[in-house]
Amino acid sequence: MKKYMGNKLAILLFVLPALAIFITFDFIPIIQVFAYSFTDWNGLTIPNFTGIKNYLDLFTDRVFATSNRNQLIFAVVITIYQMLFATVFAITISDKKMKGRKFLRVAYFIPVILSVTVVCQLWSAVLAGDGLLNKLFEAGNFDFKQNWLGDRYKAIYVIAFVNAWQWMGYQFALIVAGIKSIPSDYYEAARIDGCSNVLAHLKITIPLLAETYKFCLIISLTGGIKAFTEMNILTGGGPNKSTYTLTYMMYNAAFKKSDYGYGLAAASVMVVECMLVMLVINFIFRDRDQKKEEEKARRKRRA
Amino acid sequence: MKKRILSTLVCLTVAATSIIGCGSKAPVEETGKDTAAAETTTEAKTEEKAEEKAEENATETTEASGDKVTLSIYTQYADDDTKVPYDYAVEQLKEAYPNVELNLIVQAQDDGQTLKTLAATGQLPDIYQASTDIINTFRESNQIMVLNEVAQSTGFLDKLYDANKDLAYAEDGNIYAFPFSGQEYVLWYYNKALFEENGLEIPETYDDLLNCIEVFKGKGITPLALFGQEGWNTAAAYDVIATRYAEGGIKALDEGKASITDEGYVNAAKKMEELVAAGLYQEDATTTNYDQASEKFLSGEAAMFINGQWYIEDATKALGDNVDWMFYPAADAASYEAGKAVFSGGGSASGFAVNPDSANAELAAEVAEFITEKYCEAKVMYRHNPLVAIDTGKEPDSEYPAMMKKLSDTLPSITATTKFTWGLTNSTFNDAIQSESQGLVSGQFTADEFVQDIADTME
Repeated sequence: MKKYMGNKLAILLFVLPALAIFITFDFIPIIQVFAYSFTDWNGLTIPNFTGIKNYLDLFTDRVFATSNRNQLIFAVVITIYQMLFATVFAITISDKKMKGRKFLRVAYFIPVILSVTVVCQLWSAVLAGDGLLNKLFEAGNFDFKQNWLGDRYKAIYVIAFVNAWQWMGYQFALIVAGIKSIPSDYYEAARIDGCSNVLAHLKITIPLLAETYKFCLIISLTGGIKAFTEMNILTGGGPNKSTYTLTYMMYNAAFKKSDYGYGLAAASVMVVECMLVMLVINFIFRDRDQKKEEEKARRKRRA
Repeated sequence: MKKRILSTLVCLTVAATSIIGCGSKAPVEETGKDTAAAETTTEAKTEEKAEEKAEENATETTEASGDKVTLSIYTQYADDDTKVPYDYAVEQLKEAYPNVELNLIVQAQDDGQTLKTLAATGQLPDIYQASTDIINTFRESNQIMVLNEVAQSTGFLDKLYDANKDLAYAEDGNIYAFPFSGQEYVLWYYNKALFEENGLEIPETYDDLLNCIEVFKGKGITPLALFGQEGWNTAAAYDVIATRYAEGGIKALDEGKASITDEGYVNAAKKMEELVAAGLYQEDATTTNYDQASEKFLSGEAAMFINGQWYIEDATKALGDNVDWMFYPAADAASYEAGKAVFSGGGSASGFAVNPDSANAELAAEVAEFITEKYCEAKVMYRHNPLVAIDTGKEPDSEYPAMMKKLSDTLPSITATTKFTWGLTNSTFNDAIQSESQGLVSGQFTADEFVQDIADTME
């Protein structure tokens, strides 16, 4: 292994294909997105450089604030829902004494393999004005009948729930895999020390899954920022753009108004937001590792 | 050493196989010398020209020899109103152009996204259905053929109804598409039986309409089913009110001849806000699609419906004599009478366009014109819709429905029309009116917000 790692030509040749693909299909398009965001361009003709006009227009667009608010709500709702339920369900089915754990493991994951369109159509039927949910409330004489998808302020929470419901299974699978990798010795030792099940999971499972949670957090938060499909199918971004996100702004500007420059300015801001979120998450988790190392060093010194 | 050579070879193979396929055609070799490069470029150009000539000759030979030519066509093929004309045109084409075959690419309801992507990647179909927005965009990038000569030589211009002459021409005076739809109208349909059962007269004023809303809501009937998920329907719902206050409706706003802050438009927004608050539309109107809203109306769950005149056929089939359309209600009796001559809707310069870079561009232009004529014929004969762009000389296979007769009788007295959203030329306004009118329909945005937001957007 050492021999290969010392061979720079071999490293270069192994890295080159992946690097070339990344540069061609990811890096260059992202650079192009930023470059074209400073132009007036309809997607077909030669772009005209307009400086920061698109950004000035974007920041003063009332939909920009709405989009960012929606992204934040969406990201927070799906993160809390998915991580909370995925953890609870994963811990529950990791108990070997539990009956029906195989069935539940499959059941929790089924929504993930369904098409987003199918899931949205299903929830659309449930949440429609005369849909199943309102009918149930009506039948039970509950006064909770709502215009679930047509409400200016509440619709984004409902859309976020639909997304969280579908993708919770993905995080569930990751956490289950993480739990399986924890040696059972730790739990046996905890049990001998008189530790309860809940405390054992709090003190052993969750801290040891830090890296898994970091990954889950990144996909939830960036997924929230990039959200588009669910609002496109369930509400069409309405009413009056109240369920828009930056991705929707980009789509609307590019394909409805043929204003690619403006759309790409929205896309650029979205890319920056995603990168910032990842940086913050990395910083938070790196900070913890560093703290641990510092504490270890202190203990050693004391010893 | 052997292992080292082997590993290097494996790496090179992996790299080579990853790169294979990224290239397009065989690249011109770079010699590094200016002269050689120039020669190579010249040779390449000559080859390209030769290829083009060969293609042209091939087309001519194909036509002369009777070999099959396949033309791709991107058009709507979703319901009877789009399937019947297309199928009829294909049948007729087999007789008139036996050597031409059409390869249908079904148009996606995606605001032109697919077509624009095809254009950006140089893969436009030979013939495509183009809206005003597409025509304006492709005009700038020269991806739409000028059809002036074909329109002249095929006699298309002579067949156009006088009222539709303007529809053929774009803003720059050229013909880019053969329109098949003539002047179209937004009709306010109502269920006669429901009105009679509830002892209601056709509303002429907004006070009458408010009374109807109260009665219908009391009986658990939706007064008017709107498919507000589609922005054009909410824009039309605003336009039918706006035209009662300002004759130009959304067309005048689109053309910049009026401002949304003008008294008439503000009053229209306030009236719509009042009607929404009274419950004119179903509560979830903004998330209702066409199928759901139409089902409500046709099943008698809703008393009124707003749609184009193309809905006459379907409505008559389902409701028979129990369905009719009414003139739009107005603020008072005088405005109601005056407003009978003004309709929401209108024609647009959209129709079949041709890709100028097509290998068979000239043939495609002829076929596009032919298909347009056949579309018009099918609409008249089988869809009982005489409101087509050209005079087909055809008669319907059965009598026109009563609603169509009533509309035909009304046509001579119509003095002004507005536009459907797909006929609007200002894409910024188009986007704004669709979303803002949806906001008004939802009942969660005020008339003041509606006016202010559109005014801000148009600044």
